[in-house]
Amino acid sequence: MPYLSEIQNRRVIEPNGNVVGRLTDVAVVPQGQFPAAQWAILATPGGEKVVRWADLAQEIGHLRLRSRLEATPPAQLPPDALRLARDLLDKQIVDTHGAKVVRVNDLQLSEVDGQLRLVGADVGLRGLLRRVGAEGVAERIAGVAGRRLPRGIIPWHLVEPLQAKEPEAPKTAAVRLTIPHQKLALLHPADIADVVEEMTADERVAVFQQLDLETAADALQEVEPEMQAAIVSDLPEERAADILEEMDPDEAADLLQDLPEDRREELVDLMEKEEASDVEELLTYPEDSAGGIMTTDFVALPGEQTAAQSIDQLREKKPDPELTYYLYVVDAQGKLEGVLSLRDLVVAPPETKVTAIMDPRVLKIPAETPKEEVASLIAKYDLLALPVIDARGRLLGTVTVDDVVELILPRGWKKRSLRSIAR
Amino acid sequence: MGPGIITGFAGNDAGGVTTYTAVGAHYGFALLWLLLLSTAGLLVIQEMCARMGAVTGKGLSDLIRERFGVRWTIVAMIALLIANGSNVAAEFAGVAASLELLGVERIVSVPAAALVIWALIVFFSYRVVERALFVLVLAFVAYPISAVIVHPDWDSVMRGLAIPTLSTQQAALIAALALVGTTITPYMQFYIQASIVDKGIDREQYRFARVDVYLGAILTGLNGFFIIVAAGAVLFPAHVIVGSASDAAQALGPLAGEQAKLLFGVGLLGASLLAALVMPLSTSYAICEAFGWESGISRNFREAPVFMGLFTFLIAIGALVVLSPNVPLIPLILVSQNVNGLLLPIVLIFILLLAGDRTVMGDQANGRVSQVVGIGTALMASALSIGLVAVTVFGL
Repeated sequence: MPYLSEIQNRRVIEPNGNVVGRLTDVAVVPQGQFPAAQWAILATPGGEKVVRWADLAQEIGHLRLRSRLEATPPAQLPPDALRLARDLLDKQIVDTHGAKVVRVNDLQLSEVDGQLRLVGADVGLRGLLRRVGAEGVAERIAGVAGRRLPRGIIPWHLVEPLQAKEPEAPKTAAVRLTIPHQKLALLHPADIADVVEEMTADERVAVFQQLDLETAADALQEVEPEMQAAIVSDLPEERAADILEEMDPDEAADLLQDLPEDRREELVDLMEKEEASDVEELLTYPEDSAGGIMTTDFVALPGEQTAAQSIDQLREKKPDPELTYYLYVVDAQGKLEGVLSLRDLVVAPPETKVTAIMDPRVLKIPAETPKEEVASLIAKYDLLALPVIDARGRLLGTVTVDDVVELILPRGWKKRSLRSIAR
Repeated sequence: MGPGIITGFAGNDAGGVTTYTAVGAHYGFALLWLLLLSTAGLLVIQEMCARMGAVTGKGLSDLIRERFGVRWTIVAMIALLIANGSNVAAEFAGVAASLELLGVERIVSVPAAALVIWALIVFFSYRVVERALFVLVLAFVAYPISAVIVHPDWDSVMRGLAIPTLSTQQAALIAALALVGTTITPYMQFYIQASIVDKGIDREQYRFARVDVYLGAILTGLNGFFIIVAAGAVLFPAHVIVGSASDAAQALGPLAGEQAKLLFGVGLLGASLLAALVMPLSTSYAICEAFGWESGISRNFREAPVFMGLFTFLIAIGALVVLSPNVPLIPLILVSQNVNGLLLPIVLIFILLLAGDRTVMGDQANGRVSQVVGIGTALMASALSIGLVAVTVFGL
């Protein structure tokens, strides 16, 4: 996937290998989601030449004209065409209120259906480093320090080039880019999170004010932990509490853990009783222990219940799909006795007691277990979730694989999602 | 007060007062012609930057980035960072020198000033303090009065203004370059353009703003003129070598007598604190603007790490330079203004290329007169810089 800075200034050669000039710019008409490269602007000894992009073939290290320069028909740029380097590169992307947000450090291009298209604006440090030819070096230095350079690409279909209000204004001032919030809401929450991380604090708060509660909660869960706390601190308290209620209790507790104590208490007070008590319980465990990362949502079946009763219980409660991989059997005191799967339950004769079909050898961990240990157990036994118990063996919650996935996967892996949506 | 006059005031900082005093004390009226040329250059260049702000609605670093790309922006921003870093050091030297006059050791005054300035920016609004400091700077009204009541030989003042003379000794070149560097600082060009943009002055209103810009530049020149005349009339005949703030304060002796030190100290303190407050901030704004990093004093370190880090760094490094053992304050200030003079041509070239570019400025691009005066100013600063470097390196 090339960037504009990587193809700009490439040599342009004729079919016979004769160098005729350099590529200085690429022009598109800003229509559709990802506009296609339609024209190439070449610097030749005879001055600037515009040719159709289709008349060029990309080869390694250079671009080759399909026929000799004199035989290539000169093209004319329509008035609404945008020249990527001149009109977009280095410009600011402003938010919907006109406040400045970030700068276009580079433009990401990609081959889609055999056409080179503009797919994203690189607003991150990488783009800046790439422009000065230092991306590779910086990446190695960051690698030595055990870190990865952050990628900051805003997918192009979220960006709207605005035409200038005054028609007589010089062309360089003509393009303003904005990210309309309505477009943002259409994205997957994880992608919203990636875009939001590139915004200014004010803009972030505006986005979280406008999204519907469920999307806001899902997106907030995907935002980097340090930024989560900043966003929640900046939101009006009522709104913050509403979003926290919608979040998974374990995620909400993690977030609250990062806030100052008085702010934390205020927010918990504003939350609905039920959600608040779940969260408060989770807050009593250290952040990096099984108790700190577990969720208090799980399916517990009383031991004396039959299979048919249990299926009725599930039908009535309608638990989230990720809670139905393992069904836990508990006694009257809430002590964990065993585990069974949904399949075990469905294929068992209806009147069988769940204690008869459960597997009593259930792997369980105390709430104080460090989260790294939890992660390695989950990885080792290929589990989807692990039950967490207190000192008396009572079931407190479960740690699911998505709570520890960051500890199992190599660093920085989560960030790759941005590239896939830009495709 | 408009942005032009405020910028003129801001140029009247520790670097300015010290440089003009030293120039007057060591060379009498002989370098007044250079001040006249610098003021003319300043007038034209300030007008260019203000016009760019009004026409494009963008700051200078903004335009540099959009027109010249990342690499040249890095060059310009490094130049600005070094020039302003040395200015901040000069301001802290001014704080130290003024408070030493009033009996406070620099080991106390400098860290205290740095902490107070940092805290003001981070936790409070510095706007209120800014006004209070303006009042202190008014102490320098004493210079025109002093310059008149000492009855200088106005004939030789006129000769100094009209006849260019310059010795090629290193010390003379240092003084000359400091004089140019302190009159036309790179900093002022970024500052005036940002002020025009902040005030939302557009093409229509700019016709009126232009008058204010001219007045500001003339104010800077007049201020330098009266300090040089006062110092040239009082200190030069007495062969005073300005090595400390109390030497410099003597220039106000004819007016204030025993109270000269107090008057000079108060003015210098106000001017130094004011500039030490504004300069790190505006540097951070300019650099973050160029690279698209979040900025604003209402942000915290997590939201705007580069912005907060930069001005903290500038304040810290400025204070540390002054606190390093046995640093002579007055020479430190003069050297800092030389750094400004050395880097000035780089910034001027960017300004001239932008203000003369019709794709940026449309029909408001520089006319021939502006372009010629601008190029002349850049050449003058370059020639002095090259001369000084040549004399220093080769010992000519």
